[in-house]
Amino acid sequence: MRAAWLLLAGGALAAPILAQDATSVAVPGGATAQGDVAVTIYQNGQSLIQDTRRLTMPAGRSKQEFPDVSAQIRAETVTLTGPGIGIVEQNFDYDLLTPAKLMEKAVGQNVTLIRTNPATGAEVRVPAKVLAANGGVVLQVGNTIEVLRDDGLPVRVIFDKVPPNLRARPTLSVTLEAKGGVTPTTLTYLTPGLGWNSDYVTLFDDAKQTIDVQGWVTLTNNTGTDYSNANVLLVAGNPNGGGGRRNYTTPWNPSTGTIDQPGTESSNRERLGDYYLYPLAERTTIANAQQKQVSFLDVKAAPARKAYEFNNGWLATNDAASASSVLKFSTSRSGGLGDQLPAGTMRVYMRDKRGDPQFIGESMIEATPMGSAMSIRTGDAFDVKVKTVVEERNRLSSSRWQTKMRYEFTNARNEPVTVDLGQEGLWGDVAIIAQSQEGKRVSADRVEWSVAVPANGKATLTATFDSRY
Amino acid sequence: MRALLALVWIYAATPVAAQSIIVSDAPESVSLTVYRAQDRGDRPIDPNWPRGYALITETRTISIPAGESVIRFEGVAEGMFPESAIVTGLPQGVREKNRDARLLSPSGLVDAFLKREVTLLRTNRATGVTREQKAIITAGPQGGVILQTAEGYEALRCTGLPERMQFGGVPQNLSAKPTLSVITQSNEATTAKLTLTYMASGFDWQANYVAHAKPGDDKAIGKNKIDLFAWLTLANGGNQSFQNANMMAIAGEPNRERRPEQARPVGGGLSLACWPQQRTHQVPFNPGFIVDIPPPPAPPAPVAMAAYADENIVVTGQRMARAEMAAPVAVMVADQEDLGDLKLYRVPEPVTVNAKGQKQVAMIVKPGAAFDRIYTVRVDEYGRDDGARMPMSILFRGSNRKEKGLGLPMPSGPVMLFENSYYGPLLAGQSSLSDRAVGDDIEMVVGRSSDVRYAVTRMSETVEKQRFKVDITNARSEPVNVEVEIPFELRGKPKHIAKVDGIPTWKATIAANGEATLYYELELEKN
Repeated sequence: MRAAWLLLAGGALAAPILAQDATSVAVPGGATAQGDVAVTIYQNGQSLIQDTRRLTMPAGRSKQEFPDVSAQIRAETVTLTGPGIGIVEQNFDYDLLTPAKLMEKAVGQNVTLIRTNPATGAEVRVPAKVLAANGGVVLQVGNTIEVLRDDGLPVRVIFDKVPPNLRARPTLSVTLEAKGGVTPTTLTYLTPGLGWNSDYVTLFDDAKQTIDVQGWVTLTNNTGTDYSNANVLLVAGNPNGGGGRRNYTTPWNPSTGTIDQPGTESSNRERLGDYYLYPLAERTTIANAQQKQVSFLDVKAAPARKAYEFNNGWLATNDAASASSVLKFSTSRSGGLGDQLPAGTMRVYMRDKRGDPQFIGESMIEATPMGSAMSIRTGDAFDVKVKTVVEERNRLSSSRWQTKMRYEFTNARNEPVTVDLGQEGLWGDVAIIAQSQEGKRVSADRVEWSVAVPANGKATLTATFDSRY
Repeated sequence: MRALLALVWIYAATPVAAQSIIVSDAPESVSLTVYRAQDRGDRPIDPNWPRGYALITETRTISIPAGESVIRFEGVAEGMFPESAIVTGLPQGVREKNRDARLLSPSGLVDAFLKREVTLLRTNRATGVTREQKAIITAGPQGGVILQTAEGYEALRCTGLPERMQFGGVPQNLSAKPTLSVITQSNEATTAKLTLTYMASGFDWQANYVAHAKPGDDKAIGKNKIDLFAWLTLANGGNQSFQNANMMAIAGEPNRERRPEQARPVGGGLSLACWPQQRTHQVPFNPGFIVDIPPPPAPPAPVAMAAYADENIVVTGQRMARAEMAAPVAVMVADQEDLGDLKLYRVPEPVTVNAKGQKQVAMIVKPGAAFDRIYTVRVDEYGRDDGARMPMSILFRGSNRKEKGLGLPMPSGPVMLFENSYYGPLLAGQSSLSDRAVGDDIEMVVGRSSDVRYAVTRMSETVEKQRFKVDITNARSEPVNVEVEIPFELRGKPKHIAKVDGIPTWKATIAANGEATLYYELELEKN
């Protein structure tokens, strides 16, 4: 922040002063070679950095170094543009300067040894030549050949210079031709290590059946570099080639199952193709190893309701298991959150008897269009359970069976609830020949019933299935 | 709890951009709501790193100057999930929240002072004289540090001389621990009471049941009264203590998701590599990487239940004095309330939750709950139909209802069953409960009986049917109730067998020192 403000104030890089410290030591942490930085962060682990620096260049050909680029820069994606600039070549050098490298590169050169007498502390300077650095360092001192510090006594090795192509950090350099003078140059590159997500804080009011939702974008920087006073743009989506025409749901690209009915409304947020853009309102500094959160959504008292769902995979007897607690709401402009939601984690809170918010569960949501009907599974209900019982199984022929299922619902809450029961595994060829209440065959494989369970009471549903097995 | 706040420094680089840093170093009051580890099942809490989590709510009072300020929160739990942090109570809200994880460390200092001036100090071992020298860090911290002095370039601590670097100050973007801060704006200097809410890992809790079975009633067979007592056992595996905290625990299964990639802390020790500084014969030709062997894990701390059992063993020493022991007397019992579809247990008084500590508070005290003692077996193993006499399981079956002496939510947890004996109450069985709602059946299999045994014998077999015999013998001097589950389709409708949850079940009472036999036939599938 501060360094960036300094740049705005005219580029004077004064050392910041600790106000409380009388000795006024210079403390680093601010100065950067970056110029006007714009960071565009996608959700697939790639980010686009645009860095406009005002460089003073000589006329003609010169080599310019660009410090303070991302430590994970994808050098092959670098583009440099500016008025009157022609690129000769771009180099990305990552041979790092270390003591061992320094010694290896000094082979054949002269160094100065300073030997310290351990008894007296007296120092003796001796010129020496490095002959080899293989395991140990072989030196020529005068006419003798010896191995550095073979006696374990203190010896300082002084080098006159460091090799020019060894650097403390990987460095991008560009050889270019320019007209000379101060030139605004824009450096554009991609880097991994930056990412973003959204985190939603949802406060559910059971009495009023409403939710307050705050959305935060959460961005993380693991690139090893700070981006000072940057314009930040977040792109909701994954511009990564897609999966062709087929769109698989895979373990690494899962559907969260939180969209009941995708919406068809459009918000007036900015777009890039099919992706929504979330520009941060103010410039900010994204420090290395930092996680930053900025608010982008704040909705009060949107209608929401609680529901219970239970899925039974196959016709089998199971002990009573908890139904899922589900929160249902809309992202519609009317009667909903009124925005599309970028992918992230929704945490749901509820107030306890003292009025303090308590966490009641969380769910991942995928990028959700505006106008969608959503259901968020927050957890398992302690008090609402479903027991499935195979009551009878009759064999009609070798390829025809009748299975009578009984579903027992228990509700230990002091209010009536409705449980949406889904029975799967019907494969299309299983017929329901009797049922105690009308169900809805939502697909060949699945039938659903909505069962009302009285307060502190029980309910029973029976159904008879005709199947080949 | 102290409300200590310090205005550490204000720097005003330019008049327009004054940004004050306010450090809030400890909360005034704190609430701690602990959630159980998911999928832990019957395993005990890991005291070294409990795998549950907690929601922590703190209040902090701070003075905010006019203009833009950064508020840094210290003294938070180190397992904090920064993405879950919520800060409320600021006059103009939060502009952004940051969690910085650049750590003040030897390598962090070198990194921050790269290409900057430091002071190099060398002490002469012979004379003790220290020589100061200005130096600029040319390279580092990866792979060693190279310094530029007035004499030339040298590598740090490759000389065999005592050397150290002195830095001019603490870089302001390095912190001792990963630190949460918020940036806010205020029109005027004011005092604000903030609430900081966040989730943190490193906590866990479970219910530990202690059940005392009373002697059965002579008139009713297999009817027992059980004094049921439960501890709320809570563990804090972190290094942060919570003084006078409002403590709560949540039973139920809130959904949790995998966390996306986090910002990784940077910093750490400075590993200085040199050109070989050893004598030649010590020089490894390919030094490679030296991997530190991690220290062996600490032995698990004894869980509280073990301590409890020990106490009872002590009791057996004074056997005559205490033929009967009641459940522990609880002065403070956690209050239970509903939180949506979860159950919240609130410890009524503020308590202190120590770092690396476990705490127990009574949560359920229900003397005299009615349970049936039943001997059960499920005969579904084909290999056991040869007439071998096998012990039956001892099952205590109750119902979580008021008229049965219970009628309250019962979170999952292990059960230790004690029965009175001549030597005082002794451990008579162990079991575990899953989450039981009001109205649910409660079944605890506490062990196997060598006195009540069963044998299954296959008598005959045709293509249509298999005929079986079940013999039950009772060596106890009292009648017992038995239940035999036969999870197959039976032929006909045997009159002693009724279906329980779809499973044919034989319920019988076996006389004291008596025997009983049941014959049944299985229908075989014709192909």
